[in-house]
Amino acid sequence: MEILAKLAFALYALVIITGAIMAVTAKSLVRALVGLIGVMIGVAGMYLLMAAPFVAFMQILIYVGGVSVLIFFAIMLTKASPDGDESSPNSLRSTLNALVAMLAPGIILSVVILRYPPESFPRPTDVGAFDLGEGMLGPYLLPFELISIILFVAMAGAVLVAWRKWGDK
Amino acid sequence: MSALTLYQLVALFLLSIGFFGLVWRRTLIGMVISIELMINGAGLAIVAAAQLTPANAVMGQIGTLFVMGLAAAEATLILAIVLIVVKRFKTSQAGEISEMKG
Repeated sequence: MEILAKLAFALYALVIITGAIMAVTAKSLVRALVGLIGVMIGVAGMYLLMAAPFVAFMQILIYVGGVSVLIFFAIMLTKASPDGDESSPNSLRSTLNALVAMLAPGIILSVVILRYPPESFPRPTDVGAFDLGEGMLGPYLLPFELISIILFVAMAGAVLVAWRKWGDK
Repeated sequence: MSALTLYQLVALFLLSIGFFGLVWRRTLIGMVISIELMINGAGLAIVAAAQLTPANAVMGQIGTLFVMGLAAAEATLILAIVLIVVKRFKTSQAGEISEMKG
């Protein structure tokens, strides 16, 4: 069982790493989006490994089903060029900036993680969807309601922003 | 190496490669994709911390669900803003959008 879990973890980690590299470096934005979807599915697999099946299901539903379609709409509506929007080479300066932005938090936080590991269980806690529902309607009722207000405001704001006609004054 | 450390390293990888993409990409949509990578890493770190430590597991999972809701709201708003910007500037290259006018 242990070996199976480790194999599954390695597989998901491989999917996440290749997907993330593809999402960041692909010339065509549609390919980058495919890489992002791979990352989302790998993260959902890791949620399953951590005994959080409800979160994994929601990850598939919201990210793979919703957010990726939104981003695809954005790619289509901004008239992406067929040979890739990112095909012209990046300047050395921006590549160096990006490397610093990647390595600074990466090195600091990985040293912290590896040096001071917190006490942890080898096996995840078992929390079912029932407990999550009780939590949402019990102690975490206020954030649950606030998130619905935020979603409503965001949707209404998006419609309002996109409908305003620019240059019609 | 404990299981928690492994999950946290994967989450940290997603965070730093998201930072890389955010600085390196030149189109607005490419930046949005990098931000989504970082948000996925955040969710992974929260669930790992909730499930594998003595912390409250219900709170962690609900927190991740809220992060997902916020990410969906943020993606909608960014889509609307990108649409306006592209309509106005006729390009989605971030470097060419350098004019501000009310």
